Amino acid sequence: MLRRSSTSRSRSVSAGGSGRGRTRRGSRRAHPALYLFPLPALAVYLVFFAYPTLQSFQYAITDWNGYSATYRDVGLANLSTLATGDDLFRNAAENNVKLMFAVVIGQSLFALALALFLARTTRASTLLRALFFLPTIMSSVAVAFIWQFVYDPDTGLVDSALRGIGLGSLQQAFLGSPSAAIYWLAVVQIWFHAGQMMVVFIAGLQAIPREFYEAAELDGAGAFQRFRYVTWPLIAPATAIVTAYTTVQSFKAFDLVLGLGGNPPNSSLDLLSTRIYTTFSNYQYGYAAAESLIFMALIALVTIVQRRALRLLGSRTGEARP
Amino acid sequence: MSPLPHPRPTALDRRGLLKLFGAAGVGLATAACAGPGGTTTPSTASAAAVPTTGTPKGSVSFAHWRSQDKSVFAELISGYTKKYPAASVTQDISPSADYQSSALLEIRGAQSGDVFAAFRGAQFSSFVKAGVYEPLTSGSLIGNYHSTLIAAGAQDGTQYGLPYELVFNTPVYNQDAFDKAGHTSLPTDWDGFLGLLDDLKAKGYTPLVWPGGDSSNNGQFLNTMVMNNAPSDQMFAEIEAGTYKTTDDWFVNTLKQYKQLVPYMQNLPTGTSTTSATEQFASAKAAILAVGSFEISTVRSLGAKFPVDLVAPITTSTAAAAKYEGVYNATFILGLNAATKVGPAAYAWIEYLSDPVNAGIYANGTAQHVTVADVEYTNADLKRIEPWLTKKTLLDPLYQFLNLNISAAVVNSTVSVVGGTDPEQAAAHAQTIIDQQIKIG
Repeated sequence: MLRRSSTSRSRSVSAGGSGRGRTRRGSRRAHPALYLFPLPALAVYLVFFAYPTLQSFQYAITDWNGYSATYRDVGLANLSTLATGDDLFRNAAENNVKLMFAVVIGQSLFALALALFLARTTRASTLLRALFFLPTIMSSVAVAFIWQFVYDPDTGLVDSALRGIGLGSLQQAFLGSPSAAIYWLAVVQIWFHAGQMMVVFIAGLQAIPREFYEAAELDGAGAFQRFRYVTWPLIAPATAIVTAYTTVQSFKAFDLVLGLGGNPPNSSLDLLSTRIYTTFSNYQYGYAAAESLIFMALIALVTIVQRRALRLLGSRTGEARP
Repeated sequence: MSPLPHPRPTALDRRGLLKLFGAAGVGLATAACAGPGGTTTPSTASAAAVPTTGTPKGSVSFAHWRSQDKSVFAELISGYTKKYPAASVTQDISPSADYQSSALLEIRGAQSGDVFAAFRGAQFSSFVKAGVYEPLTSGSLIGNYHSTLIAAGAQDGTQYGLPYELVFNTPVYNQDAFDKAGHTSLPTDWDGFLGLLDDLKAKGYTPLVWPGGDSSNNGQFLNTMVMNNAPSDQMFAEIEAGTYKTTDDWFVNTLKQYKQLVPYMQNLPTGTSTTSATEQFASAKAAILAVGSFEISTVRSLGAKFPVDLVAPITTSTAAAAKYEGVYNATFILGLNAATKVGPAAYAWIEYLSDPVNAGIYANGTAQHVTVADVEYTNADLKRIEPWLTKKTLLDPLYQFLNLNISAAVVNSTVSVVGGTDPEQAAAHAQTIIDQQIKIG
């Protein structure tokens, strides 16, 4: 109502032959009361987001231990140590990148496959969708416990099954394997959230008009060509959502890791989130704040790269708008 | 259409608002730069002393991490409230990992934890530094405890807390299995220990089950592996100080001994959780559980009926060279919050727990020994292990670590070796991490 009155006013001012500047000025102005509406949200944002973020910059240049009234300014020493002299942090960052690629690729493909099989609404597919979605509503701690039992080399489901069918030589230590543990963690993460992503893909698939497939069929397109030239370009927006969500999810993996690997987890399962938590637990708040800043920068970088990649994909398909 | 009446915009336009936000931002930045800790100042022991005498009244928050002891504490609380009708106790229980990392923040302002427990080592040390303890030196409480077992709660001559639980971080064994393997006495040197494992294996047992995949328990076995190998009882404090190295002969030899144990361990031990390891022991599939006496109650809850006792790997080549027979730990350090508002009631709760009869209820109910003197142990397992109270045991060295990353680096070197890494290489990798952590400080 207020916006409309403002527009009407500017039109009338123009019609009245007033100067150009006055017209622009009038169109820019709004009722002062409007500015009061965002204030509560803004206050929450400033107190709970902006202020702590600014504080983390300040802590990052100190050696504060989290409880002392005194601390020393160490300048950029924390950041330079993180960049050059902290193998634990570097290892956690590498693990995070490995997890991200494994989860983004694995979860997107698995969720897409599920969606393609279950997109048609039948009783069976509705039941299966519910079953695949079920892990999503479980707590991370419960999921961690379930998979501890699955992965246990002696009493676990997988190794017991392998032994049972005479394939004992394929047994794995799973989370106890230094080189592969992070990928076994990715499997858990994929199992945990693939159902949720399946729902996004199904929504995307169901939005594609049937006529497109009929036209493609008339043109002689086979199943793969229909997927390649109809389905894939038209589910690009859903793919963008899935990829963005999965990336953030892989960076935020925390409780699942602690549930599976303990605190602090072994270096093969250590992620940036668990590393920062361990540093806080170690009463190295200044250093942990510096780690958090790098973590933020890394997420920002990955998000920018991802948005650009998806925009590129969008420009090729004419659909994706992340 | 005539324009709607519109009041003339006054001072607050967009530009003005931007200025306002800018000013707020500068203000926030300035406030943020005021310094860590803000206006809070640590409470210290020198501040006004908490009153510990007078009629106990009010609600006492008891912060700890032992959810498995909740029902036993509830029983004790019931007795306490009968004795002091005007007072009550509420248990504030957090998972151990959370308690390790965030208890201080809550205890510091007495938001919870009028009486609180602390882990020995890094947490206790941080709590003392943060000034959250009301010293317990002045009261008569200390007289109820074995004086030699409460040193872990003291610092610089002040008794800040009272370690309550006494556990043995020494492997537990199945006596029936040992009998079947023809071993009625415990090995006294390394060859004897390997011989025992051979005999157990020959009888179809997994000689040694070790939870290599559980970072909270895979270091327990290291305690007994280093107790006779290290040149000093303060071996891990020396590693953290940088005076000892994991590349020193004594530690590399320890890792080599781990490697010798691999053929006697369960399948793929680096992936085994404590739950699985305990199940394998409780089902009599494995003969030795490389964790500690605190797992006995779980073993019993899984239905094991066989008698159990403790056995440590004696890593020396001769019995005479061994200083220690096992490792113990005095932990669950009870403390009185310096910021408590219910001093007499909180102190009375500690006093109540320190009574030998009540400590006996706790000990027998949780199948753990306590540091309180003159306690009568009625639990069969506690009675069997009671002789260990007078054996030559070393105070759990792993708790000498104050830095979690250094501790993890040392323990992870044992996991790496069991997983197939060369001992020298694992030791060198651990030392690299330690050097970096010492530098970080």
